[in-house]
Amino acid sequence: MSKVIAVISGKGGVGKTTTTANVGLGIARNGRQCVVVDFDIGQRNLDMILGLENRVVYDMVQVMDEEARLDQALIRSKANSNLYFLPASQTKDKSVLESEKIEKLLKDLRKRFEYVILDAPAGIESGFEHTIEFADEAIIVVNPEVSSIRDSDRAIGILDSKSRKGKEGGEVKKHLIINRVDPGMVERGEMLATDDILEILSVDLLGIVPEDKGVIDASNQGHPVVLDDESEAGAAYRRIAKRLCGERIPLVEPQAKKEGLVGKLKGLFR
Amino acid sequence: MFSWLNKKKKKSAAVAKDRLKIAIMSDRTGHDLPFMEDLKRDIIEVIKKYKEVSNIEIRKVSHQETDAIAIEVELEEHK
Repeated sequence: MSKVIAVISGKGGVGKTTTTANVGLGIARNGRQCVVVDFDIGQRNLDMILGLENRVVYDMVQVMDEEARLDQALIRSKANSNLYFLPASQTKDKSVLESEKIEKLLKDLRKRFEYVILDAPAGIESGFEHTIEFADEAIIVVNPEVSSIRDSDRAIGILDSKSRKGKEGGEVKKHLIINRVDPGMVERGEMLATDDILEILSVDLLGIVPEDKGVIDASNQGHPVVLDDESEAGAAYRRIAKRLCGERIPLVEPQAKKEGLVGKLKGLFR
Repeated sequence: MFSWLNKKKKKSAAVAKDRLKIAIMSDRTGHDLPFMEDLKRDIIEVIKKYKEVSNIEIRKVSHQETDAIAIEVELEEHK
């Protein structure tokens, strides 16, 4: 049984592409055949995060238009042989997407992969609607921040009304990832806590990823943070991937670092 | 220890939560349905057979799981 999972957000810049790369690689590391597809036509970001930008020859639009075969366009990850990547087109714009062609492409990918993960474009325009149209499940990425949460609620509304499953009276299964959590700020009441966000959005929680400078360092090198055993964000992504593979892993709320004496003194006067 | 110092100010996370709840509630109800105007006209036609209509209000009310349409028909007085 294969699954098509769309990774969505409301607004851009919340870490959707980073999430796609890390979750995909995490799933592959659990021994599952996985493909990540960059649906952000005209942009092309996922290749950089995965460190595969120099290997791109054909893109998904060329596959859909039968200008290239699927196996010519698929790129195997250097980090894990179970992971493949299908790039976005840089030259064409979102208007080239057509439902029938997307359905055919996803059908072909389903034959080959257990997990088909789609990195949706930001916003809730036509490109977004095409990404969620044939999804079985969706991962909603939010930051603990008002605009991200508000916009994600609108994206969830469109997911429910415009997806094939939604139109047929079913429901796309929804998972929430709260990304870039600063546990110190949450503790001080300066950032929305997990429970607040769950109460507002009423979506099942898949994982909490702490703010981690290692994420940018990892992107710089095209070496997703899920590979870094030392990183807290990496550990969070590894747990998320295991949950998606059906393992029961308890949720871990990020903890604030114990401050030294100077920090404590500062804290008193904050 | 010195927490009484900042008791006066409401924590910003709590402010964010309140603001978000209200904003999202109004986002969810604010979306017009594409057929709203036609529906209004049809309902007025039907009710006019019995009574004059002075105003009609149609709203879409959405919650996480269900969508509903709320219709309020105001009748013309003394007719």
